[in-house]
Amino acid sequence: MSITIKLFSALREALGVSEFQLDLSDISEASAQVDVAAIKKRLSQRGAEWKEALNQPNLVHALNHKVVFTDAVVSEGDELAFFPPMTGG
Amino acid sequence: MSVSLQSEAIDVAAEYAQLVGDSPGAAVATFTGYVRDHSDAHAVTELELEHYPEMARKVLGELGQSAAERFGLCSWRIVHRFGRLAVSETIVWVGAVADHRGEAISACELMMDTLKTDAPFWKREQGPTGEQWVASRDSDTERRARWQSRETQ
Repeated sequence: MSITIKLFSALREALGVSEFQLDLSDISEASAQVDVAAIKKRLSQRGAEWKEALNQPNLVHALNHKVVFTDAVVSEGDELAFFPPMTGG
Repeated sequence: MSVSLQSEAIDVAAEYAQLVGDSPGAAVATFTGYVRDHSDAHAVTELELEHYPEMARKVLGELGQSAAERFGLCSWRIVHRFGRLAVSETIVWVGAVADHRGEAISACELMMDTLKTDAPFWKREQGPTGEQWVASRDSDTERRARWQSRETQ
């Protein structure tokens, strides 16, 4: 199972990547459903920068272009984005 | 009844003419936002706006539609820029046409208050001491929350 991860703004800058594919087959085998929290946990294992960036209290998660909580369930082909609070207008 | 995400300057006169031309109504309200030459603590010489195109288009489209339903608008339009912007350039323009001024003005206010916190854009300011990402403001979150509390009344 593979999904697209996108990072924006200060998060993209801190982690040096804007978009990549993430294979979740081992997580999905271990449990029936994979949620945003499980993906954050997986990505946090990539190193201290990832752990710090993805565990900021004000981090926003958007699944398929809609803001969600960490219990949102992720499916094959989904697009999951992480970013700081928005500052448009 | 549309959204534009664009790097080029906003032609406010053309946007106004198109908005009114679409569906002449009795009341037209618009808001234009420009790049300030200062933030709370320092001078600003340039602004860069990063955005998440697919999500921004979706969020702004839903926002316009929701304002139209709530205030019975005849027409609406949201234009938001991205990329590098000089001081005094336009950043955002919203317009609403309704039968009465209250609905048109409130719709513009709702669209602006909501897009500040819900549309995926991030400002990066350049000043004499370097560049920095703009932090979200509690005052923007509070203004956004006022509309949610009104929805539940």
